[in-house]
Amino acid sequence: MEYFIHLIIIIGIYLILAQSFNLTLGLGLLFNLAHVSVYAVGAYVTALLATELGMGFFGCLVCSVLICGLFAIILGAISIKLKEDYFAIGTLAFSSVISALLINWKSLTHGVLGIPGIPRPEFSFLKVDFYDNINFLVLTYVLVAITFFMLYLFFNNFFARTLRAQSEFRQATKALGKNTRLTRNMSFFIASCFAGLAGSLYAYYINYIDPSSFSLTEMIFVLTVVVVGKPGSFWGCVFGTVFLVLLPEPLRFTRDVPLALEWLFGMPYPQISAIPVLGWLITPVVSFLLYASRPSVLGPMRQMLYAVILFIVVYFRREALFPVQRRV
Amino acid sequence: MTTETILSVESLSFAVGDLQILNDVHLHVLEGETVGIIGPNGSGKTTLFNCLSGFNSPQKGSIALKGRDISPYEPHKRAIAGLGRVFQNFGIFREMTVGENIILALESRQPIRSTFFPWSKQNRKNVATAREYLKQVGLEDKFGDKAGSLSGGQMRLLEIIRTLAFGAELFLLDEPTAGVAPKLKNNVASLIVKLQELGKTVLIIEHDLNFIQKFCTRIIVLDQGRVVLDDAPEKVRESRLLQEIYFGNASE
Ligand SMILES: Nc1ncnc2c1ncn2[C@@H]1O[C@H](COP(=O)(O)OP(=O)(O)O)[C@@H](O)[C@H]1O
Ligand SMILES: [Mg+2]
Repeated sequence: MEYFIHLIIIIGIYLILAQSFNLTLGLGLLFNLAHVSVYAVGAYVTALLATELGMGFFGCLVCSVLICGLFAIILGAISIKLKEDYFAIGTLAFSSVISALLINWKSLTHGVLGIPGIPRPEFSFLKVDFYDNINFLVLTYVLVAITFFMLYLFFNNFFARTLRAQSEFRQATKALGKNTRLTRNMSFFIASCFAGLAGSLYAYYINYIDPSSFSLTEMIFVLTVVVVGKPGSFWGCVFGTVFLVLLPEPLRFTRDVPLALEWLFGMPYPQISAIPVLGWLITPVVSFLLYASRPSVLGPMRQMLYAVILFIVVYFRREALFPVQRRV
Repeated sequence: MTTETILSVESLSFAVGDLQILNDVHLHVLEGETVGIIGPNGSGKTTLFNCLSGFNSPQKGSIALKGRDISPYEPHKRAIAGLGRVFQNFGIFREMTVGENIILALESRQPIRSTFFPWSKQNRKNVATAREYLKQVGLEDKFGDKAGSLSGGQMRLLEIIRTLAFGAELFLLDEPTAGVAPKLKNNVASLIVKLQELGKTVLIIEHDLNFIQKFCTRIIVLDQGRVVLDDAPEKVRESRLLQEIYFGNASE
């Protein structure tokens, strides 16, 4: 049960992170590969303010959101100089600058040691605290609801239409009186603010953050979520998040496969593997699954699983994801 | 009624590197006029439109719209100032629906707060207005279809009516009959006539002299980036210079 609650909270945090990424990637076809780095900044801002200054929940949350919002200026500047694929490379470079800072600016970030001891939020005026995961789950989903309400508006009003239009034919969008640069920058601002919110929530939940939680692998995971859910699809992204967070979970039960087989066949596992033909077929599979259930193998297996899925889905969605920008 | 100059272009020159694409172009268009622009491929017609729209930055010259110098304006500001553009390579958004293409244009002049909430009254009104506009070009049944699924002719009609919905006063139509099936050419023509009736000013780039003769008061001939002729359609048609430009000098 405790583990189940953990999964639901993780899903909530990723819902905010992925849906905000979906705004720029899905609607604007802007490959902002620094999204997870902005999320990292949000987590670090909260972690530092909460541990060093003892700042309260709302203060940390607002600071994370606003400081991350400022990163839109950098993303906007990159997007003016670098278009399409080059923008992806530019933001990737920017994200590695942030990673390098998180690791090497030791006086501020404590480097690879990370920041431990982030206290959970407490609302003294309501006499509630969020050390209990059920309470934290409620807090998470209140924030998810607020995020989704606001993003739902941006996914369905003039802003989304302009963002989609400029992803196809920027000049024709300008010819309809749209300030495409402002629209793009606004999309970075909104997405970065919500990445900051997700980061803040993550720091509070996990209590301890270090640079390894915000690696490129994490970016690939968020990218996979949005691509699996169909870029630009609001509810598709929700499906993608839930599906991909839960997908590797069955891997955890692989060590129980022999037990399941014993129950199924009604005989001990060595006897099953000795059955001619059938046993010979089962044994290598079970051995592999047992091997895969080791913690040191499980992590890399998950990463490979996501990479393979991303590869397959990108292949099928390649035309929608990488259209040629039309020009006069 | 006095007719005012809506567009005046003075000594416009545009070069890319050593290549002089537009050379000292002068152009004056009166409000409500329909002017044709012809010239061989590569003579700089589209480039002239791009300079007007602000997609190309000319090295020399000035552009005034309704007496206001728009040279320093960014493309979207020029559009808001009244400039409408229909692109040679189709400016519709194929991934969006036909209806959304029109709604997008309607929203450009509406205050942000009136369309911020998807369920707002203005949004519902825009849907109805968009249907009205589509009805004018016989595309009302296509409201929810992807614009990319339309035929070439339907795309042109959609783009022209979208520019009208946007509220343009000066229309720059770049080869509006290219890629249009013969059957729909008449629809495009009657839509242009409708623009005239609404008092709009139209500049049309077109290869088919017979097609533009029907509604143009004047025809401008561009050759190698220069305006070589600016006269009534019949005069241009009979001109020897035109023959020379298109078919080479016979006496050479
Ligand atoms: N940005 C550019 N860079 C280089 N050459 C250009 C550019 N824009 C236009 N040209 C060239 O200028 C000439 C005129 O082009 P264009 O205006 O498209 O002609 P058209 O009259 O057929 O519309 C062509 O030879 C084209 O190759
Ligand atoms: Mg052309």
